[in-house]
Amino acid sequence: MVSWRGTRLRDALRLYVITDRTLARGRPESEIARQAIAGGATAIQLRWKTGPLSEALRVGRELRELCSRERVLFVVNDRVDLALALEADGVHVGVTDLPVAETRRLVGDQLVVGFSPETLEQALEAEAAGADYLGVGPVYPTVTKPDAGPAVGLEHVQRIAAAVRIPVVGIGGITAENAGAVIRAGAVGVAVISAVVGADDVRLAAAQLRKVVDEALAERQ
Amino acid sequence: MNPWSVPRLHLITDPAVCSFEQLCEWLPRLLQAGVDAVHLRAPGVPAGELLKVAAELRRRIVPPAVLLVNDRLDIALLCQADGVHLPEQGLPVRAARELLGGGRLVGRSVHSVEAARAAAAEGCDYLVYGNVYETASKPGAAARGLDALREVVHATHVPVVAIGGITPDRVPAVVRMGAHGVAVIRGILAADDPIAAVRAYRQAMDEVRGDGDSRDIKRETGGAGRSADNR
Repeated sequence: MVSWRGTRLRDALRLYVITDRTLARGRPESEIARQAIAGGATAIQLRWKTGPLSEALRVGRELRELCSRERVLFVVNDRVDLALALEADGVHVGVTDLPVAETRRLVGDQLVVGFSPETLEQALEAEAAGADYLGVGPVYPTVTKPDAGPAVGLEHVQRIAAAVRIPVVGIGGITAENAGAVIRAGAVGVAVISAVVGADDVRLAAAQLRKVVDEALAERQ
Repeated sequence: MNPWSVPRLHLITDPAVCSFEQLCEWLPRLLQAGVDAVHLRAPGVPAGELLKVAAELRRRIVPPAVLLVNDRLDIALLCQADGVHLPEQGLPVRAARELLGGGRLVGRSVHSVEAARAAAAEGCDYLVYGNVYETASKPGAAARGLDALREVVHATHVPVVAIGGITPDRVPAVVRMGAHGVAVIRGILAADDPIAAVRAYRQAMDEVRGDGDSRDIKRETGGAGRSADNR
């Protein structure tokens, strides 16, 4: 297995889709992921908050196989042991999860380690501890409340992206309408849940997001 | 793993019953009184916090006692636990063995004969079966009973640790069904005197094994219900 760390990680972070069973309205994760990849998703994250781990393993094996076939980055959220058991390409941890340094120690130098900092300080610490990318957010309040307020998180993305050398992905309330601003703030990509997983047409939603991200990235060159 | 090195008196943590601060304070005396294994179990506690607790427990749990981490193999690895205890729906044993390396205990909770057979086929070092009696730790879950425990014991050659409402008074009956040991939460952590409770469990286990070791009988006869003759 070729590692996703290094130069090809940036491209793999352009459209990062995170699974969520409650938003999927009964559609299986593998089907959502297949549609999302067809539309242009470059990374799939298995996020498992409730339910037996055996089910996460079953779903994870499907996603592992799909992502290998499609050459898409496959990341597991929080559980480093699950990431290792599934032979995922990476693992993503947050501030209450296992620390980045310990996560890196467990996964070795082949796997991608992502981290969600809440502060600039945590972002810098994570970079020093061996994180490969950062998920920064919430950029926007939430997609289910489009009128909930101004995009207060863009400045946060900008500040962190300017301070670290590793790529930053924006997350939280991102849609095709506002994704361009996230890229212009310095992110290399966007991470989405509801905008894709909750869409009636998952493939179309992913394609629209991917187009906006690619155009914004091209402008930045 | 030599079955005789499988711990017999298992203490399972539950932060809702006893804080980790309190547990750490009691630990030296709990181990001295006869706890063989401590399972770090704290569902809902985030991994970062759990790792800190695991490191604290690791410092205090010394041989011959062992530290086992429930479910989270990553935390077991990081705190250098003596093994991992997998839920019935947890990670595969093979993954645990590959990641932990040799010389570590890998156990699994089971709730049926079928699950016990599957776990044994995976190569578990021991099984935890229950709940044998009704227990406040699983409100509303009917007791599975001693007969069911005996069926699980005889379904495989893997040592079975009984769990669920087991008091020192119930230890003789459980051991006579062929259980290798018992696992306890409230019987120790919610007792008026947890140290005295451990001594009572220990004494009950040592006595009943002294008057005819039921697992020897199981081993000699190859199982199949003969241990019932021992009652």
